[in-house]
Amino acid sequence: MALLALAGCATDPAPHEQMRLSEQALEQAKAVGATDEVAELKLAEDKLARARSNMASESYRDARLRAEQAELDARLAEARVLTLKSQEQLSLLQSRVNRLRKQLGEQQ
Amino acid sequence: MSSIKPLVAVLCAGVLGLQGCASERSETALDQAAASFQAVKDDSNVLRSAPRDVIRAGESLARAERLSSYVGSGADVRHYAYLSQRYSEIAREHSNLVLNQERLAKLELERQRLQLALREAKLVSVQQQGKWLEAQIVSLATTQSDRGLVMTLGDVLFDTGQAELKNSASRTVLKLVQFLQLNPRRVVRIEGYTDSTGTPEDNLTLSRDRAQAVADMLVDLGVDEKRIQVEGYGDQYPIEANASERGRAQNRRVEIVFSDEKGHLGAPR
Repeated sequence: MALLALAGCATDPAPHEQMRLSEQALEQAKAVGATDEVAELKLAEDKLARARSNMASESYRDARLRAEQAELDARLAEARVLTLKSQEQLSLLQSRVNRLRKQLGEQQ
Repeated sequence: MSSIKPLVAVLCAGVLGLQGCASERSETALDQAAASFQAVKDDSNVLRSAPRDVIRAGESLARAERLSSYVGSGADVRHYAYLSQRYSEIAREHSNLVLNQERLAKLELERQRLQLALREAKLVSVQQQGKWLEAQIVSLATTQSDRGLVMTLGDVLFDTGQAELKNSASRTVLKLVQFLQLNPRRVVRIEGYTDSTGTPEDNLTLSRDRAQAVADMLVDLGVDEKRIQVEGYGDQYPIEANASERGRAQNRRVEIVFSDEKGHLGAPR
């Protein structure tokens, strides 16, 4: 591994599969409603953009590393958005339950 | 450890020259990733809801640690430490989501339970239900100034000469029962009447039997017998002349006289 790393990018194959996975993760994050306001999504987009230019200049090793990070950034962005949404649902439902409890209290 | 650090730093500086020593930064990244991994690994909720991400966090961390023993691998160490860190964060986030979903499910059940309780409480609320039924009963009854509130069950509820209530009486009688349950102090007098066909004795018996049939049904449906008086008036007190069939039909009836809210019932005729 270290030898490979030291040998540089010449031996790295083009990470097409990784690029595809990263794009997919980014799409997925956007599909659940992640925007640039989610820091991790911004990171993912920037890294993927740089990975694409690395691909273009055949710096495949850099492309792979950035795409790998972009994939996880995007997945984290997605997860954060989903958690946030569930949090909002939770507080909405909680307020409804509180209102019901209050009404029931007045009823008795 | 502290005695090795300067040595590594010197080695790094020697090998990488102007690039500087990466090991310090790598070590920080590694430590942080290790701490994050430890935290998710020890959290049973995270393990339960995102086992695969926890495993990947561990694998990436192991890889970063393996690489850290090689000179000049700083960028790779940081890369895998970064990935490990991300997997841990993703796992934690998934776990938060699952916990929230579980809370949501519980809260939803609680909401349904409360809604049901509230609905029941509203129904049981005497004022509301009472008012509604009052309106229903009043719409079926007429107020006769001397006798109070009177509800008339027409002869269609009985077959000719029979004292048994027909099924079509059920709905009216049920409303009556509900009304009495919600107005526990009210009492009723059930009065039977016939037309002038037949002997006065037979008519008296028949009118009484019909009134009793209605009373029995009320009792069957849960109204206390003590709240019900039964009277048979035979062919007395006709409301129409008995000369026509229509008039006779109107005279064959059962009347229910309600007391006021305090239980005061006008005297029988």
